[in-house]
Formats: sequence, structure tokens, C-alpha cells
Amino acid sequence: MSIERRHFLGSLGGGFSSLALGDLLARDGVLSGTLHRPPKAKRVVQLFMAGAASHVDTFDYKPLLKKKDGEPWDPGEKVELFQSTPGACFGSPWDFKPYGESGKMMSDIVAPLGEVADDMAFVHNVVGKTGVHSQGTLLQTTGFNFPGFPSAGSWVSYALGSENENLPSFVVLPDHRGLASNGAKNWANAFLPAQYQGTVIRPGNEIPIADLFAPESKFITDRNDRAGLDALSKLNGLHAAARPGDDRLTARVRSYELAAAMQLSATDALEVKGEPQYIQDMYGLAPEGQGVDDSGTINEKAETEFFGRKCLVARRLLERGVRFVQVWSGNDNGFPRRNWDSHGDVKRDHAPLALGMARGASALIKDLKQRGMLEDTIILWTTEFGRMPCSQGSKGRDHNPFVFTNWLCGGGIKGGTYGESDEWGFRPQDRGSETSVYDINATIMHQLGIDHERLTVRNNGIDRRLTDVHGHVLTDMVA
Amino acid sequence: MTRVSLQQLFSGFIAAFCLALSCKGAPDFEKEVAPILEAKCLSCHNEHDAKGDFVLANRGQALGFENGIVPGNSEASLLIKMVSGDEPEMPKKSDPLSPSEIETLRAWIAKGAVWPKDRILADNPKRDLDWWSLRPIQQGAFDERTLLDRKISPVDFFISKKLAENKLTPVSRAPAEVLIRRVTYDLTGLPPTPEEIDAFLKTPDWDSLVDRLLASSAFGEKFAQHWLDIGRYAETHGYDKDKPRNNAWPYRDYVIRSFNSDKPYSKFVQEQVAGDVLFPGEPDGVVALGFLAAGPWDFIGHQEVGEGKLDGRIAKHLDRDEIVSAVFNVFQSATVQCAQCHHHKFDPIRMEDYYRLHAVFSAVDRADRVYTGLPPDQEKLKLTLQKQIGELQAERRKIDTDAKRVVAAKTSGLDRRIAELKEKYGSGLKPQYGYHSTITSRQDDEKWVQLDLGKSRGATEIRMIPAFDNYGGIGAGFGFPMRFRVEVANDAAFKNGIRILLDATGVDFQNPKTTTIKVEGDESRFRFLRITATKLRERKNDYIFALGEVEVLNEGGAENFALGATVSAKDSIEAAPRWGRANLVDEIFYRELSNDAALGELRDLQEKRDAIEQKVRPADTDSRLAAIDANLKPLNEKFKKIPSGEMVYAATAHFTSAGNFRSTNGKPRVIRLLHRGDMTTPGDVMAPGVPALWKGATDLFFEGSDWNEGDAREKLASYLTQHDNPLVWRSIANRIWGWTFGKALVETQNDFGRGGMQPTHPELLDFLAAKLRDDPGQSMKSVVRLLVMSEVYRRASGHDEKNAEIDAGNAFFWRANRRRLTAEEFRDSVLVVSGKLDRTMGGPSFSDFIIEKPQHSPHYEYHLHDPNDPKSHRRSVYRFVVRSQPNPMLTTLDCADPSMSVPARDESTTALQALTTWNHRFVEAMSGHFANRLRKAELETSEAKVNWAFRLATGQSPTDTEKQVLIELLDEYGEESFSRVILNLNSFVYVD
Repeated sequence: MSIERRHFLGSLGGGFSSLALGDLLARDGVLSGTLHRPPKAKRVVQLFMAGAASHVDTFDYKPLLKKKDGEPWDPGEKVELFQSTPGACFGSPWDFKPYGESGKMMSDIVAPLGEVADDMAFVHNVVGKTGVHSQGTLLQTTGFNFPGFPSAGSWVSYALGSENENLPSFVVLPDHRGLASNGAKNWANAFLPAQYQGTVIRPGNEIPIADLFAPESKFITDRNDRAGLDALSKLNGLHAAARPGDDRLTARVRSYELAAAMQLSATDALEVKGEPQYIQDMYGLAPEGQGVDDSGTINEKAETEFFGRKCLVARRLLERGVRFVQVWSGNDNGFPRRNWDSHGDVKRDHAPLALGMARGASALIKDLKQRGMLEDTIILWTTEFGRMPCSQGSKGRDHNPFVFTNWLCGGGIKGGTYGESDEWGFRPQDRGSETSVYDINATIMHQLGIDHERLTVRNNGIDRRLTDVHGHVLTDMVA
Repeated sequence: MTRVSLQQLFSGFIAAFCLALSCKGAPDFEKEVAPILEAKCLSCHNEHDAKGDFVLANRGQALGFENGIVPGNSEASLLIKMVSGDEPEMPKKSDPLSPSEIETLRAWIAKGAVWPKDRILADNPKRDLDWWSLRPIQQGAFDERTLLDRKISPVDFFISKKLAENKLTPVSRAPAEVLIRRVTYDLTGLPPTPEEIDAFLKTPDWDSLVDRLLASSAFGEKFAQHWLDIGRYAETHGYDKDKPRNNAWPYRDYVIRSFNSDKPYSKFVQEQVAGDVLFPGEPDGVVALGFLAAGPWDFIGHQEVGEGKLDGRIAKHLDRDEIVSAVFNVFQSATVQCAQCHHHKFDPIRMEDYYRLHAVFSAVDRADRVYTGLPPDQEKLKLTLQKQIGELQAERRKIDTDAKRVVAAKTSGLDRRIAELKEKYGSGLKPQYGYHSTITSRQDDEKWVQLDLGKSRGATEIRMIPAFDNYGGIGAGFGFPMRFRVEVANDAAFKNGIRILLDATGVDFQNPKTTTIKVEGDESRFRFLRITATKLRERKNDYIFALGEVEVLNEGGAENFALGATVSAKDSIEAAPRWGRANLVDEIFYRELSNDAALGELRDLQEKRDAIEQKVRPADTDSRLAAIDANLKPLNEKFKKIPSGEMVYAATAHFTSAGNFRSTNGKPRVIRLLHRGDMTTPGDVMAPGVPALWKGATDLFFEGSDWNEGDAREKLASYLTQHDNPLVWRSIANRIWGWTFGKALVETQNDFGRGGMQPTHPELLDFLAAKLRDDPGQSMKSVVRLLVMSEVYRRASGHDEKNAEIDAGNAFFWRANRRRLTAEEFRDSVLVVSGKLDRTMGGPSFSDFIIEKPQHSPHYEYHLHDPNDPKSHRRSVYRFVVRSQPNPMLTTLDCADPSMSVPARDESTTALQALTTWNHRFVEAMSGHFANRLRKAELETSEAKVNWAFRLATGQSPTDTEKQVLIELLDEYGEESFSRVILNLNSFVYVD
């Protein structure tokens, strides 16, 4: 039996001397120059709604729910919910209106996206595996519903590398109020090399990337900082020169130079003050910045500021060659809740969250478009699962892993609707042909020039892929 | 030429064969055809995979595919076309069919492709044990005696053999100062002190250096880190919320202890799988089971959802998969997890094997369990009680949920309106609940609370408003007394002139829930009001007295004299903001609804609901619940009296239930084979067993279905440590090599299957495996010693152009491998050099973060931790390892991800690492300490300081050029800046 040898990753201890310097600093990906097909897109933004955004209150119009509002809900099967027993039918508290030439029906709370409705590709029949937040979140970020697998951003960076060695290829903009379920596991490299893990950037923080600048110190000054680096460069250079044939040593010398360059690039990328006022307004930035009032219940102004600022920073990073940006709306389920997990009151919580998100996302799409970047940038909007058509209590909705919505935009993706849910928004309309995260990821990789079945890394006996053993390219969407 | 003749030969052979067959008649489907199809085709062309839409599972599907099988015409059948020819297209994943197999198929089709209607074929690969790792361990490749006489290490013998075969010339031995630094790091994870270096340079006695290091306690700390890496050890659950595991650390100490005491490897393995069964009475037998529990655990899936729901059962399945995979990846270097959805694609592991392993662990969960400090009889009693309580609780839950479900089905419309009214008009629960007495175990413990109105008042009405607390699901009427009286007086001590306004001490008072109890005044004035509870309401197996608010109203209710009154009590719990005496008179309390009309509607709805409930709720529900409660009470009381003992987070079949996470009490869960690994398509029930991975290995542990979970784990432990198990010994020998040399002989350390890599030195690996296995003490230390005593270990790490042309990756060990310090070694070394390392061993872990918001999802805030906190200056192996939010500095330095088994650390070089080592607060703080140490050394010249510091950090003396650069830096910018540079040197972070 012969088995094709693929990439073995593991101990690289002895094998470095044969590698080129470039490999060590990870500018190139494994597929650089050898893509499986001509790419339509070069970079990806993943917008993640932590806590599970309701599809039936945003993008998936279900008039039947309004009609039967308050009546007992009978989908014709026993329903097992995460927290509660199924309540009555619960019509969305918001009106839906048609947008764009296609007349796509969208809720008032995502109205800002109406302007770009025709560019968006909606998939209303996405299915998950379970209604547990951690599993659902991991499934959407890594393709597996348990930990130990690389994030989609890590896979893409691993395949394509970076276009700018002075910035990380995979950047994460978490909700600054806390990390969603699974924390950093959602952008972990797992068994891929460490340079492909997501780098957390916190725009608005004094030090937006961990250790980007010297810490508060009794002794560090600009002068001795520079002098120290100069001395270090000489000393490490001498060390490397005395040990020829080991590229790691020179790579480490170079890593300090890149670090210095990153200080400048990152600062520049995060400096949104220089953006024209109309751009800042388009993204809904608040004059008081991240310090905007966020006390009491979730409020629209704060959500708009937080999400909009991240979208604007995402655009600036993409412009500078970052390959994959993950933007989070929502944190963990601590108190006070600042995420989409609206068990108690959809109306109170979803309105500000969705309006904030929609404004930022819409601005990002329009802004990329006016810069000619939308054609090769894919935007994916996702969440761990959807929410139920029936009520929990009187105003909330429980988890719905059986069907929910994703939408994509840009990077050669055609606008339209691909896949419908049933009349309740409870399950896929056509139960034989639902869409999975594997299909979404296969499609994104296809647009990036990657055959999702051929980008594999062997780990513990299995050739692992982002799409596990599944995934079909949604050909209608990209044709 | 050859090809043509072969072809001719081949067709001639076939013709002859056909002839023979036609005489014989059609091949028998069952005996001849089905085995070929199952072995060669079904792994892809089964119902699930259906590659190319061609399914060979049953007659209908097989013959339904156009031109797939054309009965009577084998040449027109695609099946034959695909498997025959010079380079047959099929099978894709195994060897081509033999000519006789092809001919059988051909003849079968020619004769009409008879396929019995009900015969269903399945993927049925034969157990192919013909693979290097599954063959018996080979010995006797050389005469060890002769080698020893010639003072040649067997290790060098094997290595030299391969070097010669590959025309490689080993480089020379490394200088002594390089060697002592290398071996000290490799065996202890710490740098040698300058004094140790001096001593070794003076008397370069390698033997005694190695023995000293092996005997040091740091050896166990270093090697335990290797083991914890593969053992996916961390001290939080991971997943959502990521709660801490405060009792995980005893397992970490166990591993350190085991390496230091050089525990026989068999025992080390057995303890970690079935120590509780095999070594009863030994605490280590229980602590070792921390291995099974070390990986991530889905708190929500188990505790909030639970196995009553599909999502909970999926969580439990994934949880068991994690344990099963860990056991086989770590001990056997076998990837059983690949057989979850189909038979293993490369290795002789079938789905049945995989689910049999699930059955082995079907009764255990990850939870805290006692390992010591509890006398055996008490422990026994504890288990019995746990079991009895668990069963009663399960019964109670079932009765309760069933009743609620029946009611809810009829009241969902009402319920929504009720919830709506409450949402709209309810004032909700404010945090200032009211007054709360201390907790008592006696219901007749009398308690009182008293108001001082400041002066004598004439009041017409006194209002007692019940408290509200969702504790224990109680809610409204929390702690409202069963019997009580209300008295007033003008004497604070209630000795004289007491007037009783309400005496409710005669009969039990029904819980008023949210109803305010109104007591009329008696016209005369009073200054003090006292409410005395004579029979307390139950909380949760205990009793309290609580009240939300007391109001004392004047005529018409315009004024509340009680507002802000001084409150005293016999006793109280002052737990701001919720409970406190002052909260009794703050006019803040739980109001059901603020609007009277709405309240009227609510009462109506509730009445209707009550009526429905009364009608549909099974009549005996309450009496059955009460009966169970009566049984539970004495059991709970007994249980509470048992001392807790010392706990470890480990695999266990007995633990205290929490939420929906319940102990099996040793009763195995029913495990079924899951088609496609899918919980919704269960197959046959599986009994405990293992894959038969070598000749003579068993697969099923028990005959019949009557077995005990502990025995199943014991059988697994004995399977794993069997003498003729070729995997377990090779696996650990390979790891020890990897831990010592930085690169293993088989680089895929967790996978010795056909999907992994093969050993670079198979004879050497077998020699080491047999050596460990056959050593009476099965000493891992002696294997390590054997390795570091070799010449190959002591080689220089220098480059050699000629060798590199042949073997750039140093697969054959012509030189030593230079390596970077691991994340932990870097951190520990910085502490050593700064003079700050605290060598205290064992015990609870130190935190290098501050936890914020611990109640729900703890935020592990590393940036808030003070790097100068001496509690955090211990070795990194004693660090509290967080799964979801790992230490950012160590993660950047390629620390292991505890969500998976990590056999070897990655060694990446990134700009972010440079930022971390240059700018991290820890490095900044330690530079300060290093600088102080340097000043305290009282060295006269800058040169002496540079020499001293450089040697301390790198184990070497600086060259002249290096010295010059460093002296300039020190003189111009001072000790701190100088120290910061030293801690970033290549010569500090690399070991030659």
C-alpha cells in the first residue's frame, strides 16, 4: 500500500538548515505560486455574531410567524430546546421591507444593509450540529465542533501567506468587552505552525497588539530602547555568523527588524483619526470613541461605535495586505450580557446589536467597493446558530441549530438567495440539500484559488482539512 | 519486451483459468465474490461514502448503476474495466486485485451476477498486521556483550551503522561548556550555574554529571512537562465559560513524582488507566486517573444540557472520544479516533474496536474525587449514599418534569401572557432583597427581627412583604416563616408592656409567595416592632427566616414610619448588596406587578392556569414527590457529615451531581456503534474491548453482557502493558529518544500507523523498546542515561557542508540538534538569571493572571498580573494552565496547546516573538532584578560585570567583540538596559 506523503508537521528541530529564510518568517504560504485554480479573491473578512443572531428577526423574512403570533406553535415534530420548552409562535417585533432591485426582504434593524442588498448572497438554510454555544462557535470558526483544530483564518494564512511581512497575516478584532465562547481557541493555529494563529488587535487600546511597544517602565527610554536593539542586532548577528548553516539564527536577527517595522505598520493601520470625516461618519464612529456610554441595557450608539470602528480598522488592515480578518460582535455570557444570546428579550437586545452591526458592515461593503477592493475581498457574516421561531418567556428566543442564515459578499460572489428555510424558519425548506459550514468554507477557498480537498495537513494519522470530509462549492453563487 | 511477454503470459493464464472455471460453474457469491468486494471495494463504495455514486452494498444498488455490472457480460461491466488492465484505476486505496480475484469477478458476472436479495455487503477489511510497528519487537541485531567490552554504546553502534550506510561522517564532540549546558537543559529544563560549569570544566566527569542531573528533582519537573504536553493537561475546562479545575494539580505532582522516583513504566501506564482498581488503597492509583480527565470538558453540554437531550448525548460522546483517543495516541501511538465514522482507512482498526473502547469508558466522567484523607468505611458509605441520593433525585426529576410537560402543553398561551404582564409591569428583582437570618439545621430555632422607629408612633397598619430569592429555585416567599408572631412595645428588650398584634404560632402558615401580609394596628402608640419566627421555612435541607420589607403605615398609609428605621435581630447575614438588616426598611422589595389592572388580569390568568394545572397534573404527583423528599432528607443529612477528604480532578464513576451532570454510580452507559459516527443512527450495542493490534491480542474483554466498569479498565490496562504489545514499548522508547535528542526516531510520535512516518533507525528503536520492557525495574531514567552517555548525544551542533548535502535535516544524527529554549525553559531561565526563581515544588498552581468576573465566564486577565509578585516566581510547570485564554507570552513562544496531545513543540520564529521577549512586562521586571543582582555582585570593572552576566545567562564567556559591544551598552545605558539585551540574546535562547 502506498500512501502519498503530504506535509508532516511536528518537530522541526533538526530540519531548519535546509529551509529558506522566507519560510521562517512566513511571508509565503504553502500554495504561494501554486494555487489550485486562478483566484477570484485575495482576502477574507469574517464577521462573527457571538451568542447566536436571530435569522428570523434580521435577514430571513417569515410572515407566517407574524400571522400566527401568540398561537401555539406546531412544527409537526417534537422539539427539544436548549433552555426551555417551546412557547407560542413569535412574530418578529420588526417590519420587513424590500430592498434593492431584487426586492430582498430585510428587517428594519438591518436596514442600513439595504443599500447593498443586491451585492449580498444569502444562505438561509445553513445547519449546525448542536445548540451548545461553544460547539457551534468552534464549528463556524474551525469546521469542527470540538477544540484542537485550526481556525479558517489560520488555514487561509497557511495556504496563501501574507502580502505584508510587517503585519500578521491573520488578525482578530475581538469584542473588547470580553472573548466569546472558547476564547482564543476560535483563532488558534492548533497543529499548524504558530505563525498562523490569529493575532489579536485591540484598536483604541494604548497597546493594540500585545507587547507592540515597551511597557510602562522605570528604566526604558526611547534612547536606550533603540541602543539596546542596535546592540542586540550586532550580538545576535555575531552569534549567527559563528554558527553557519542555521537559518533560524539569522531569522531571529531579522525578526527584531520586522518587529520594529510592525510597530510602524500597525500604528499606521490603526490610526483612523486621519480618515476623512465622511468616512468616519459612514462607519458610525462616535466622537468619544471606545469610551462611549455602554451602561444599562445594550445601546445602539455604543454598538455602532464598537462594530463600526472594527470594520474601519479591518478595511485599513486589508488595504495593507492582511489576509484574513475576524471581527467579533458580542462577548461571553457574563453580566451584563453584551451579545446576541437573546433568551430574555430579543427586541431590547437585537435592535441595538443589529443596527450597530448593519451600519458597520454596510459601510465596509460600500467602502471596499469605492476602493475597488470588493471584487477580491470576501465578506462572510456568520454566527454559531440561529434562534427559534417560538418564544421563550414572552420576548425571548431559544437556540436554533437546525437552521440559520449566513451571507457572503464580494470576491466574485454573486448576490441573491441560495437556500431557503421552511415557512417557520425552523428547519431547511428542502431537507435533502441544506448548506453546512463546510460548503461555505469550500466556496470561500474556491474563490481564493484553493481546492478545499487538496489543502491538507497530516495530524495524528489523518490528513486534516478545514472541511473535514465534507464540503461542496456552492457553484451557483460563484459561477 | 518484458511487458509484452508478461501480457501474453497473463492472458494465457486467464484463458486457462476461464476454462477451469466454466467447468466448475459460477463462483459462489457468498464464499468467493463477497469477500473480494468487501475487502477491496466497500471502503469507498458503501452506502455512506458512495464514491462516484457507485454503491456495492446490496443487489439493487449494485445492479442499478448503469453499466456498472452487466449480468452475463463481464467485458461491458465497468467494475471489471476499473479493476483490470496494466494500471488498474481501482481500488484507489489498496493493492490491485490479484488476477485470480479479477477472474472470479469476471466469471461471476458472466454467469449472471447472482446476488442473493437480502445479502448486504459492508466494508470489511481484513486485519493486516504486516506493518513495522505491529510486528514483534526484534532483538539480537548485535552482541551487546562485545560492544560493552569494547566500550561502545549500543546507541552509537546503531547510529554509526546508519551513518556509514549513508556515507555520513559524524562531527566531533562538543566542547565541555557546551555539553554541560546542553545536558542540564535537556534533563532539568534549567541552566547550569557558573559554579557547576567551573566544576565540570575542572573535572569533566560526564558520568557523575549525568547521574547528578538524573537524581535532581528538576529532572521530574522537566520530563513531567513533556508528559503533560502529550497528556493535554490544563486546569480549566475549556469550551464555553472555561471554569477553573482547582483540583487538577495533584495529577501534575503525580507525574513529577513518578519521573523522579523512576516508576516502572508498566505501573505508570496501569495507574493512569485503572489505578483505582489495580492498586486499591494507594492514593497514586486514584490521582493518576487525572490523565483520563486532563483534556477539555464541555461544561454546558454536560451540566446545563445533560444527557436527557440529544445535544447532551453528543457532548458526552465527544467527551469519551477525547479520552479514548488520548489513551491510544499516548500509550499506543495508534490513531483509533479515525475509526469513528468508518473503519480506519490505513490501519487494522475497525469501527467495532473504536466503539468497544467507548464501552470501556462508558461509566466514567471527569469530576473531583477523593484520593486520600477519607477512611475506607467512610468512603464506602459515601459511595452508597451518593448512589441512593442520585437514584432518588433522578426519580424526582422525572416525576416533576413529566408533570410540568403535561401542564405546559396546555398552558403555553396563558404562560406567554403571564410572562408578558410580568415583563411589562413587574418591577423586577432589585439586588437589595431584605433581611436574612443565619442558617440553622433546626426548624424550631426561634429567630426575631426588630424595628426601632426612633420614637413612639401610632400606626394603623403593618405590612410584611415576603422576600424573593431564586436560590434553590424557591423564588417568591423565600424564608417566610411557617409560624410567627408580631408584637409591639415601648421597651426595646420586649420585657414590659408587650402587645401582640398577630399570633400565627398555632398552625402552619401557607407560603404567601408575593402576597403582602397586612397586620392591623391596635390604636395605641409604640416605638418597637418585633417579628418572631417560631417555626422556620425550609431553604435547601436547612432553615432560615427572611423578609423582603416591613412597612409601618399611619392613617391612610401616607407615611411609612419604618423607612430607615434601625433594625436589630437575634442574628442576621450581612451580605451586601442582597441581604442586610437595613434592606428590610429601604422600600426596595420584589413587586410582582406595579399596575393594579394588570395585577387583576394576572390573578385571573393564574387562577385559570391553576385550574388547568389541577385538571391535567397527574393527581399523585405531589404525594410522590413528598415521599421521595422524605426519603432524601435523612440520606442528605448523613452525606453532609462525611468529611470531604483530599480531592483530585480525575476520571470517576462516582461524584456529586451538579445540574444535569450526574454520576453513573458505576453503571455503564449503553454504547452503540454509531453509523457514520452519527448519534441519530445508532447500531448494535457494544461491549468493552480493544483493537487486536498484534498477533495473539484479544479484542473482546468479556463474554456476555454482565461486566463491571472497573474490570473493563483493568483489562485495558493489562492489554496496554502486555509483554508482546509491540506498540506500547516502541512508543515510549521513541518518546524518550525525542525528549532527549529533540527529534524522535519516528517523527509522528502519536501515529505509528500507515499514515505516519517510519523509524529512521528501526533496529535502534526496537533495542531501546526491548531494553525498557525487559528491565526488571522498567526504568525510564536508565534509558535516558543510556542515551546521554552515547557519543551521538555529545556531538557538536555545528554545520558540515558535505554531510548537509546528503542529510540536511540531520535525520541520521551526524550532529547534535541546536534547539531554542521552550516557552517554559525561557521563562524559568529568565527567573534563574534574575535570581528570582522559587524552587518550591508541588501543591496548588500559581496564577499569572487576575480573574475578573469569576461568577459566570471567568476573564483571565494576564495583563493585570504583577510580574513582581513572588508567588508567581515558581517554575512554569506549576503554572495554572488556562485552556481558552492561554498565557499570551508563552503561547507566542510555541507553548503546547492543551486542547490536544502535543508530542513535540513547534519552533517558529516570528516578529511577534521578538516583540514579546523585548517588550513583555515580565522581561522588563526581571531585567530590573537582574540589574540589582549585577550591582550586588560588587564587581569592580564593567568588563568583569559583562563577563559575569554573560556567563550566567549563556554558560559561555563573551568573545572580545561581544564584550566590547556589551561594555559600551552597560556604561552608556546602565544595568537594566544591559540586562534586557542579555535576556534577548540568541546565545541565551538557543542551546548548542
